[in-house]
Amino acid sequence: MRKWTGTSIVAAVAATATLAAMPAAAEWPNDKPITFVIPYSPGGGFDTIVRAFEPALEKALGAEVVPENIPGAGGTKGAASVYRSDPDGYTIGIFNIPGYTVSNVLGENLGFDLDKVTWIANLATSRYAVAVKADSPIGSIQDLCSLGRPAKMSDTGAKSTSSVATRISFAMIDCPIVNVTGYKGSNDAMIAVMRGEVDATLKPIASLKKYVDSGDLRLIVTYTDGPAVDGVPNSAELGYEDFSKFDLRRIIGAPPGLPDDIRERLSEAFLEAAASPEIQAWAKGAGVELEPVGASEAAAMMSRLSGFYAQFKDILVRQ
Amino acid sequence: MGLDVLVNAVVAIATSGSAIYVLLGVGLGLCFGVIPGLGGTTALALLIPITFAMEPLDAMYLAGGVMGATSFGGSITAILINTPGTAPNAATVFDGYPLARQGKAGLAIGASATASALGGVIGVLTLLVFIPIAKQMVLLFGPAEFFLLTLLGLTAIAVSAQGKLLRGLIAAAVGLLLSFVGVEAITGQLRYTGGSDYLWDGVGLVPTLTGMFAISQMIELALKGGSVAVPKEETRQLTGVWEGVLSVFRHWTVLFRGSLIGTIIGAIPGLGGTVASFLAYTSTVQASRNPDSFGHGNIVGVIAPESANNAKDGGALIPTVAFGIPGSAETAIFLGILVLHGIDPGPATLLNNEREIYGLIVALTLAAVGASAIGLLTARWLVLITFVNVNILVPVVIAVSLTGIYVLEGQPADVILCVVMGLLGYLMIRFDYPRLTLVIALVLGETAERSYHQTLMISDYQMWSFIMGRPIAVVLVAGIVLTLLLPILRKRAFGRTRREAASVPAKEPRP
Repeated sequence: MRKWTGTSIVAAVAATATLAAMPAAAEWPNDKPITFVIPYSPGGGFDTIVRAFEPALEKALGAEVVPENIPGAGGTKGAASVYRSDPDGYTIGIFNIPGYTVSNVLGENLGFDLDKVTWIANLATSRYAVAVKADSPIGSIQDLCSLGRPAKMSDTGAKSTSSVATRISFAMIDCPIVNVTGYKGSNDAMIAVMRGEVDATLKPIASLKKYVDSGDLRLIVTYTDGPAVDGVPNSAELGYEDFSKFDLRRIIGAPPGLPDDIRERLSEAFLEAAASPEIQAWAKGAGVELEPVGASEAAAMMSRLSGFYAQFKDILVRQ
Repeated sequence: MGLDVLVNAVVAIATSGSAIYVLLGVGLGLCFGVIPGLGGTTALALLIPITFAMEPLDAMYLAGGVMGATSFGGSITAILINTPGTAPNAATVFDGYPLARQGKAGLAIGASATASALGGVIGVLTLLVFIPIAKQMVLLFGPAEFFLLTLLGLTAIAVSAQGKLLRGLIAAAVGLLLSFVGVEAITGQLRYTGGSDYLWDGVGLVPTLTGMFAISQMIELALKGGSVAVPKEETRQLTGVWEGVLSVFRHWTVLFRGSLIGTIIGAIPGLGGTVASFLAYTSTVQASRNPDSFGHGNIVGVIAPESANNAKDGGALIPTVAFGIPGSAETAIFLGILVLHGIDPGPATLLNNEREIYGLIVALTLAAVGASAIGLLTARWLVLITFVNVNILVPVVIAVSLTGIYVLEGQPADVILCVVMGLLGYLMIRFDYPRLTLVIALVLGETAERSYHQTLMISDYQMWSFIMGRPIAVVLVAGIVLTLLLPILRKRAFGRTRREAASVPAKEPRP
């Protein structure tokens, strides 16, 4: 009951705000509110970016957008519910990529066909870096790989994108590691490094930055093609070519068979929202690395990612 | 940082019109607390979209109001109808409900209100003291300590199940089995889901708890008929509220122990208020010279869990100010609100967002005290619930609880799980199995398993020598040994008296 009151207050505010901006003739998107599915509970990274984008998106579309959290089954329940909706442009969702890509490569049942999703836009891309404790003697990947024992690296779950990136990238250079998984969140996994129970962790640069700034952690390499953080070598210059292909995306999808014109308009609205000063300011404060990409490029990116992770099926199955 | 900031925060809340947000939060928190199945997390989750349009500080006031008020709200339901309003009130039913049945609900509510308010204040004061060393404190607790803490919680089950140890352990074993369902934390493998997507996330705590306590209790009441307490002239005149208030001061050691346990457990992510109040209760039973008086309406059994579940909010902020990580479900959402306002929580959260953090702390304190004041003022009418005919009470509570369960995540399967657990819970009442031990094992099972595996990995499978090298871990091991030995030693010492006391019938004779 309370939920309805909450939503309707927001809806009412949003409706009055967008009334003026509403285009005169168009049918879509003004029949009913657009449902923006978040496949996780409120408060997380996916939830946050959707709610931050919501007002700017409403402004760009001239329509009402209502975020809806459908958590469950590791995020696949919400994604599957987007997939099964009518492709009328009134249901869109944010997708966990490359999380679903990896599950797909492993042949796990996602409850939907990832290849058939209509991709609308990529909002943000996070790049990874490897961090060690600030006062650790480890200064490079070589150091990490020559401890005389397998290096311990912390992660949330074995299926998390950073765990996947950790295991694949270190297997690529034949460096033995123990991936200590089960930490409750990426912050917990980083604190494990500070406690000293693991040697290093691979995490998005933006997440690591706050602990680097506070003097708790130190970066030894960024998984990027060029300089990303002052004074920290990037993987390309060190000769680890493919490392920069590991990243974490906030990508928007819709049910299969979405008409092209609606897809284009949604895509443009997302790009316009991402360029708005409000979103730019928000992203800067919240440490979100915006990388707005339109529909066709997002689709190309998705198939590129599938191909990339498919090569490492053996490593992923081995765990 | 420190006192001046705190004073500023108090002045800010007193002089701006923002105190209204605290009051609003308290009102919401009390309602969500009273209704079984709804809790502080639900209230905050539903508030998130609304806070987006608010100033961050006002959002903090609202969040603090909700956080501070829910657990007292939940104790009202626990005492009056034997159904914890929120998960952390589960231990309050043990002694709160027998008091209500004896017509002493006023005494219990007075004690719960005072213990909640003081527990909340003690929790916040502890937080303020520990803020400068919060970081070091959080770093002291690694997987080994988490594992030992869960083990301590599991051994405490033996204490809570006094007189029916075997049944308590059987219920706990069922709880542990249920905790294995879903995605395994370390490898991400699916276990015991039987092909159902719903079970990926495991057996949900809130539907289980609501079913086990609310639904089963309603079945029990419906079959019995009548009303919770027998209406008599003298009990209708609510007496004992002030006596309840005073009882907390009389048992100040219980209050402080409960608050301390609450703060510590609150600071440990993943354990939460249910475990905190349970441990506060069991440790109070252990420390008591008369452990057999518990479960039959000992006021101390209300004070301990209620001080703990309010103190845990202060404790849960310790990891938040140290590293920007949540110590509880509520603080997780609180951090979500910060992120929504373009603030990235981290180790610098306290430095950069002093205003918001201290605003939350002040709101939390005000809410704990305010909610209790409202509770004391309205207690005389609340108690009338116990005289309502069950034919009216039962359908209302069932409908409201199941609606709450559905609203939580919008999953119809949650409602089904809740009903199934309700039936199981009723069978457990009928055959005299303790229900809370099942729930506690369900909460602890996941953390226990996860941290056990992690400890093995980080210690290169040399777990014992690793534990012995960590001071806090050694203290926890000693605590576990003591918990296991104490009942045996006590039995030796008071063998005869205990046996006689145990033969007193467990159920209250009906007047």
